[in-house]
Amino acid sequence: MKEIFERSGGSELLLQGNEAIARGALESGVRFCAGYPGNPSSEIIETLAEAAKEIPVYAEWSINEKVALEAAAAASFAGLRAIVSMKQNGVNVVSDFLTNLSLSGTGGGLVLVTCDDPGGISSTNEEDARLFAKLADVPLLEPSTPQEALEMTKWAFELSEQIKNIVILRSVSRLSHTRANTLIGDLPDYGGGAFFDTKSPFHTFPVLTKHLERHKKLDSAMILSERSAFNRYDGPDWPELLVIASGSCWNYVTEAVELLDLSSKVGVLKLGMTWPLPCNLLRKHLARAGRILFAEELDAFVEESVKALTADLGSEVGIKNFYGRGSGHIPICGELSPGLILGVLGDLFSKVWKAEIFREKIRTFIPQPVPPREFGFCAGCPHRGSFYAIKAALAWDGRNGFVSGDIGCYSMGIWPTGFNQVKSVHAMGSGVGLASGYGKLGQFGFDQPVITVCGDSTFFHAAIPALINARFNDSDILLLILDNSATAMTGFQPHPGTGSNAMGHKVEPVDIESVCRSLGVYVEVGDPYDLNVTACAIYRLMGMAGPRVLILRRKCALVQGRQGGFPYTMMVAREKCLGEECGCGRYCTKIFRCPGLIWDAAEKKALIDEVICVGCGICSEACPRGAIVRMEKRKD
Amino acid sequence: MLQNLIITGVGGQGNVLASQILGRAAVLSGLKVTIGETFGLSQRGGSVMSHVRISDKRNYGPLIPPNMADVILGLEPLETLRIIQEYGSETCSYIVNSRPIYPLNSIAGEMEYPDPEWIKMVVSSSGGKLYWLDATRHAIALGGPIMLNMIMLGALCSLPGFPVSISQIQAILARVFPETKLEANHRALATGSEMIAGNAN
Amino acid sequence: MAIGEERYQSELITRVIEKGICVNCGACVGLCPYFAYFDGRVAVMDRCGAGTGRCLQVCPRAAYTQIMREEAKGLEGRDLSLGFYSQVLTARAKDKYLHEEAQYGGVVTALVCLGLEKGLFKGAVLTDRGGELSPGGALAVTPFAVKSCAGSRYSASGSLSILNKAIKDENDGIAVVGLPCQMEALERMQRSVPDGGDRASKVAIRIGLFCTWALDYRKLRDFLYKNGVKGIVRKYDIPPPPAEKFVVLTEEGQKEFPLGEIRVFVQKGCYLCRDMTAEWADISVGTMEGTAGWNTVLVRTERGKDFLDDAFKEGILEKGNLPDENLKHLIVASRNKRERGKKAESDMLRDSE
Repeated sequence: MKEIFERSGGSELLLQGNEAIARGALESGVRFCAGYPGNPSSEIIETLAEAAKEIPVYAEWSINEKVALEAAAAASFAGLRAIVSMKQNGVNVVSDFLTNLSLSGTGGGLVLVTCDDPGGISSTNEEDARLFAKLADVPLLEPSTPQEALEMTKWAFELSEQIKNIVILRSVSRLSHTRANTLIGDLPDYGGGAFFDTKSPFHTFPVLTKHLERHKKLDSAMILSERSAFNRYDGPDWPELLVIASGSCWNYVTEAVELLDLSSKVGVLKLGMTWPLPCNLLRKHLARAGRILFAEELDAFVEESVKALTADLGSEVGIKNFYGRGSGHIPICGELSPGLILGVLGDLFSKVWKAEIFREKIRTFIPQPVPPREFGFCAGCPHRGSFYAIKAALAWDGRNGFVSGDIGCYSMGIWPTGFNQVKSVHAMGSGVGLASGYGKLGQFGFDQPVITVCGDSTFFHAAIPALINARFNDSDILLLILDNSATAMTGFQPHPGTGSNAMGHKVEPVDIESVCRSLGVYVEVGDPYDLNVTACAIYRLMGMAGPRVLILRRKCALVQGRQGGFPYTMMVAREKCLGEECGCGRYCTKIFRCPGLIWDAAEKKALIDEVICVGCGICSEACPRGAIVRMEKRKD
Repeated sequence: MLQNLIITGVGGQGNVLASQILGRAAVLSGLKVTIGETFGLSQRGGSVMSHVRISDKRNYGPLIPPNMADVILGLEPLETLRIIQEYGSETCSYIVNSRPIYPLNSIAGEMEYPDPEWIKMVVSSSGGKLYWLDATRHAIALGGPIMLNMIMLGALCSLPGFPVSISQIQAILARVFPETKLEANHRALATGSEMIAGNAN
Repeated sequence: MAIGEERYQSELITRVIEKGICVNCGACVGLCPYFAYFDGRVAVMDRCGAGTGRCLQVCPRAAYTQIMREEAKGLEGRDLSLGFYSQVLTARAKDKYLHEEAQYGGVVTALVCLGLEKGLFKGAVLTDRGGELSPGGALAVTPFAVKSCAGSRYSASGSLSILNKAIKDENDGIAVVGLPCQMEALERMQRSVPDGGDRASKVAIRIGLFCTWALDYRKLRDFLYKNGVKGIVRKYDIPPPPAEKFVVLTEEGQKEFPLGEIRVFVQKGCYLCRDMTAEWADISVGTMEGTAGWNTVLVRTERGKDFLDDAFKEGILEKGNLPDENLKHLIVASRNKRERGKKAESDMLRDSE
């Protein structure tokens, strides 16, 4: 048994923030776990799904976040504790249900975990999902360390049952993907079955009464927060500067105070619950400091609420100088960091951070910025083949066509790795919705062909309604489903098409082809490794009317790498390679752009990088001279 | 005691696994460890950086403050160069694998991959001690590029005064890998260790 | 402008492709992966920053440099409306079958078959009939294959891409049958650097076809489809004036359209053309107006003359004389095309200023 699933507590493990949340849920006696994968949240359900092999809990990857919350709410209505996890974008998806659920209230403890991605390290946007807590009038907890993530998850369940409403636990990339010593507690004994008490229904009527109740629940949460140890103050009684910190930023603040030797001047109020705010606690600390700095991610969420509170308190706390996003001391976008906080505190206390001399020295060595590492599809990635074929078909067509993109690894089609074919990327399933619109613009003189792409997991998540819309409204769309049999971007979670579920049980796969056919949509299937055949198929389908689907099916190269690998050893026949000459012009390295194909500057020829090349062999079709040779791998 | 370590490299080099194994070994010996993992949009091929902070007192935050790394373990030369200004210092030690992984923009000729010898010069002139290792070649000889992270861990744990030992790493490996893979990984650790012993520039 | 100052492919794209004056001859295609001919059009697949600009040098529409025929030097005073030629005559194939399948006299089909049979060349670059996609080039190596390509398509076919591919595949001794623009492209290829002379030496003979314009195949196909022509077209015909009609023969029968409805599909680049009779060919062949079943033939080079003489000697062709009236008419038509081409070019240059 893995240590993280130990029944008895007391040991200290190196847990990732997400694992700590999962352990906290298990220690709370969670029974029902659901979510949709998305960096940086995925490891929560992954861990719980693995736990389900040993502990009597249920875990699922749901079709999308809204369904995940609905499924988890059912468990809550039936008296069980339930957790649902997602990234910030997922909260947008659940928001309709969330704002109604928070009116009806909940039964068993129900916790929604959102893992936000400040900086958009692995997202199409950066978004502060904390605002949904305010919108839905529900409590919001923000842990700062894995240990706290574990403990706050437990608190979240208790709180949810105390106020009979859902509680949001908010992590960020920097916590979700941090590992630290974490002391685990005992797992509970599992007992008690699921039962829906028909005498206590869950609905939103009468709306005004429920809305009022919701605010009363929030007031109770505030009272509990005032007494909570998760909100705590460290520093002098009357600090020169009060820093109000939450989440991961608290780590940076405490270390910066220490490094700048400011602990006698700066006090840090760490808020564990950031909605509703603990007003009495704040009242006390606001009265004792004239200058206040906010360290939070991503919006001025606490900042604006505290400013409003200060205005309400008026002369009781007096006039303050606030430093944060409003004043420009904290950037309005992007992640915070120790360096940034050191800079702000250094400015406020006229202390110079010591690294400048070293940095100046390095700048004399490296005058230019170090070149960025361009995003690219992996060696062997089927998306490279798909976009290469799309590029060919659109070029043959010549009517200035483009790709309406979606969310997945293939979003990188906006960059040279996807030959810059993708011209729009927004939310899950939006590529198909947009295409459905473009497909009706013919009557307004629009004659550019549009190809829309979505992955297999995205198809199930949100593309199906848009496809039905296209069918219903007879829109001319061509949807390419880039089926790599995995939710690849987020770490290969199963989905309805893969044939197994989150807990590893075999299930009958949902066949994408049959789904499309049942809608009356014309469907073909192709192989993205077959570059020319696929390009011809796309071109032919572009010439047809109505909704059409081409499924381009090939396993993700990383999955294939684990499941038997690839058939070829690749080699560049030097004597055939034209290199920079007319007739090639470094076509493979400049245009085809596979990381496994590199440029030998000394010989002025292409070269296989044997460390990177996996041996998929498709580059041999792209080479104009047949100089890239594939040889069957030796079986050893 | 606080040891600030950065492991930097490219997706697919086993960066995250190396930091986890190191971290678990440190926790096993009673130390406080915090690891901040940064990986971006792509599963492979993008820059990947782990901050590992080992202390005998408390868990520090997940990010090392500017210019406070004690050791930078560079799995790739360009990625090492990228973070020197932000995290390096006069006293920082560097263990760098000399084998480049070329970014697509450099493969395409749109930007020049700096000469690794120049990178070596910059790193060694920046103040700290440099161990410039031909680790990928050894990894291939030991069974494949995938062995690189173990060689580099072996080198790291052989640095004078480093708080985690190779035998502590081996104790964790026994829990992570099946029996059949242990010997190769032990050999990789030993190779890294030998490279440090024989590389005192 | 001298070679070297140009930006090669991008220059070709700016001067020709983006102006919409590409005539889809295919001369730039098949040299590299950056251009393709597909379904009736030459397409830019990717942007190339390198090379020697072979694509630009061979393009008959890039007007890179004016080229002039060696034999025509010193003849500036004479009427060269038909280009330089040593002999004009009429001819038709003796094989009557060819009159049906081919266009009019079947001279081209008969010549190519003869050349293959006698080993004068090993293959011939022709235009096939197309299928689901447009007509395109084909390398015919048997008389059977040649006959399956017989007949006029009245559309561009990019067939020189097939010549480029054949040369890349190390073929030698290739006959090329093509439109005036394609004959000019071959001449430009001959004069191009760094390897044009070598590549042109693989061409055994150039047989040019008279042409007043070619249609944009995709537009024609859409038009025909909308007008009920859904099957594969077996033959197109534009009977001599004053018929003013476009005849399409399919499996389901014959359909006729007013020529005016078809002319709107003429490629924009064809209006710039000044060469009706393929003056860069070894032999140029066209319809003989007024006498059904005969071709007009212009012999332009020694190589052409030898080939044609051989055909008469072998008895596969019948020879006739072109009446003065017809020659005069041909000269006027050819001169008018030159004038129209000149005017269209100066209009275009003025508009683009």
